[in-house]
Amino acid sequence: MKKKLLSLMLVGAMAASMVACGGSDTAADTSSDATTEDGAAAADVQSADENTLTVYAWDENFNIPALKAAEKDYQEVNPDFKLEVITQSQSSDVEQAITLAAEAGDYSTLPDIVLFQDHYIQQYVTNYPDAWQDADDADCDWAGLGAEKLSYSTIDGKHYGFPVDAGTAIFAYRTDLLEQAGYTIDDVKGITWDQFDEIGKKVYDATGKYLLCMDGDGNDLFYMMLQEEGVSQFKDGKPYITENETLVKVFDVLVKLAQDNVLYLANDWSDYTDQAIQGDMVAGVFNGNWIIPTMKQVADNSGKWEIVPAPTLTGKPGYASNGGSSLYITGNCTKTDLAKDFLAYTFGGRSAEDGQSITYDEALLNGGVIGTCAAAAESDVYQQGVDFFNGQAIYADIVDYTQNVPTVEQSDYHYACRTQLATALQNVLQNGYDSKQALEEAESNLKFEMGL
Amino acid sequence: MEKKRRGMTLANKQLAAGWLFLTPATILIFIMSFYPIVMAFITSLKTGKGVNIKFADPLTYNYSRMLQDVIFKTSMKNTFLYLIVEVPIMLIFAILLAQLLNNKDLKFKGLFRTCIFLPCATSLVSYSLIFKSMFATQGLINSILMKLGFISENINFLGTASTARFVIIIALIWRWTGYNMVFYLAGLQNIEYSVYEAAKIDGANGWKTFWNITVPLLKPTIVMTAIMSINGTLQLFDESMNLTSGGPANQTITMSHYIYNQAFGQGVGNFGYTSAMSFVVFILVAILAFINLKVGDTRD
Repeated sequence: MKKKLLSLMLVGAMAASMVACGGSDTAADTSSDATTEDGAAAADVQSADENTLTVYAWDENFNIPALKAAEKDYQEVNPDFKLEVITQSQSSDVEQAITLAAEAGDYSTLPDIVLFQDHYIQQYVTNYPDAWQDADDADCDWAGLGAEKLSYSTIDGKHYGFPVDAGTAIFAYRTDLLEQAGYTIDDVKGITWDQFDEIGKKVYDATGKYLLCMDGDGNDLFYMMLQEEGVSQFKDGKPYITENETLVKVFDVLVKLAQDNVLYLANDWSDYTDQAIQGDMVAGVFNGNWIIPTMKQVADNSGKWEIVPAPTLTGKPGYASNGGSSLYITGNCTKTDLAKDFLAYTFGGRSAEDGQSITYDEALLNGGVIGTCAAAAESDVYQQGVDFFNGQAIYADIVDYTQNVPTVEQSDYHYACRTQLATALQNVLQNGYDSKQALEEAESNLKFEMGL
Repeated sequence: MEKKRRGMTLANKQLAAGWLFLTPATILIFIMSFYPIVMAFITSLKTGKGVNIKFADPLTYNYSRMLQDVIFKTSMKNTFLYLIVEVPIMLIFAILLAQLLNNKDLKFKGLFRTCIFLPCATSLVSYSLIFKSMFATQGLINSILMKLGFISENINFLGTASTARFVIIIALIWRWTGYNMVFYLAGLQNIEYSVYEAAKIDGANGWKTFWNITVPLLKPTIVMTAIMSINGTLQLFDESMNLTSGGPANQTITMSHYIYNQAFGQGVGNFGYTSAMSFVVFILVAILAFINLKVGDTRD
């Protein structure tokens, strides 16, 4: 009797799991729809309605509010328009969706528009040209969108992307901690990295906090510090490392900063955001301005931060950019004209030129997204002071920085180079390499990866 | 036709029925496994990315390229380090635990068995993340060592190459010992108790019994667990990915993790090269399994 009952239960469990598995199959098909903003009953990543566009984006607190704002903005001129945002869990999901669609040769799985990381777009357009449609003839003023930003999304002289957020770097300092070490915010304006090192040592002695931090595996400091000097890690498409005097200097600066307990190298990204920044281990943060929402998670530090241009090798104010993303029209979009007009009107800045831009204002208010559109920066929203940064009008400041960021050579191998340089730094700090040896190894590994 | 079929012998009929039952599974295995293996091999002869992928010149380009790949060599070294250190420790632990738990007079046997097997029920990713938070710079292990006065400053376990490898090995042992123990327990139950009684009468002590009776009789199980562990360790991915993300400076990266990085980790994947590397891993597993079978072969 007992056995019978047990076997019945087993059969029941199996049946239930079969149903669950079968269910999850269909769930996978429709999961993208389940997350669309109004739960529209579209059976696919494409909508049959001729006034509806679909888009992939990944951050509920950052870029998705910006897209919602754009939808609202465009509805002023096209009341029937609808934008379905299909939420992805992270940016790499979008990259992998493109890879899978392209490798399978079936683009029907792609939405009309995708949000895509700037550093990745060039290699994806080069390798999967059919996955994209250019937007060169879109009706917007390209010159007003930030030349540095557009240098990523312009491929073979054609515009492909519409900028969403600027990756403009900020250097934020904790003024209260600087004070404990006997400094004010003015002492860190327009300084060299050597002076920064001196200040950093005093801050560490006085407060036990690091004046700079970065993810040690994905070390963006090299790229940003070089860009400040107007130099790239690449020259004519080839790695430019051991013969690049600026890079060698930057490398030595970073080694010294790390050895002097001025720079904290986190083990990985979550160590960087959760422990270093939110765990209150640092007195300074240097990264793209999209790091601000992460910093704001620590409400206790509100009013203690201020931002200034970064130190440089020579002491002139440093401007750089890191990360950021743009919107691209995929090869699967059949409503290309609508997509172009929508993007040109909203993120392309046509509405901003006509006066107040709902897109850029609400993107900033609801998501903290700072655009690169010069016309949008004139609105009142950009001029307001931010309490978290001691009332400083950081948005206007960041737009101002954006105009000063030098354009440097980009490469498909940006992230490969970043990994190699991060490894080189770790090799010096931990494995007893000297700088020259470490950089030589990084260069030869990178060349190897590029097939040179 | 009808006549012929009626003329089939009983044995032939059974054979036909056997094949009939085998067919669905066979077809599925061909489509799901063998076809991709062949295609992967063809891909491994190609080079280039995306639409620019084409047959390499010479065809073995990807394979010769591997010989110059410093990071692939590092990943191989790491993987073999995990293999050589972790597998023996784990198997010895497993066999000792099995021996202890096989004791007839032991109370709460079921409870202990469940406890030791339980780690295997946790998902690879979640246990990696738990180990990661335990061994974090501000984590549990550091606080305990600090409170007990063993260390004066927090150790960055996962940020230092040697300790990061150590943490991965500890994690692997925790996760897989119970799993292997279950196989040994099953093996031990198949050994007749009378054999032990006979040994006792002959005056063998515990150690001698273990070494001369248990181990030889468990040999097939030992060979099987060793092959499975070697196979699993060579394909190690989750721990490297989630605990250390291969860092610092690629000092803990495994072969599978490097293959993943090349395919999906950084932008457009180099699928030709990654397929070639996967084939090398496949061949390594095959060679090691073959050696293992030869060593464990009881026939003369």
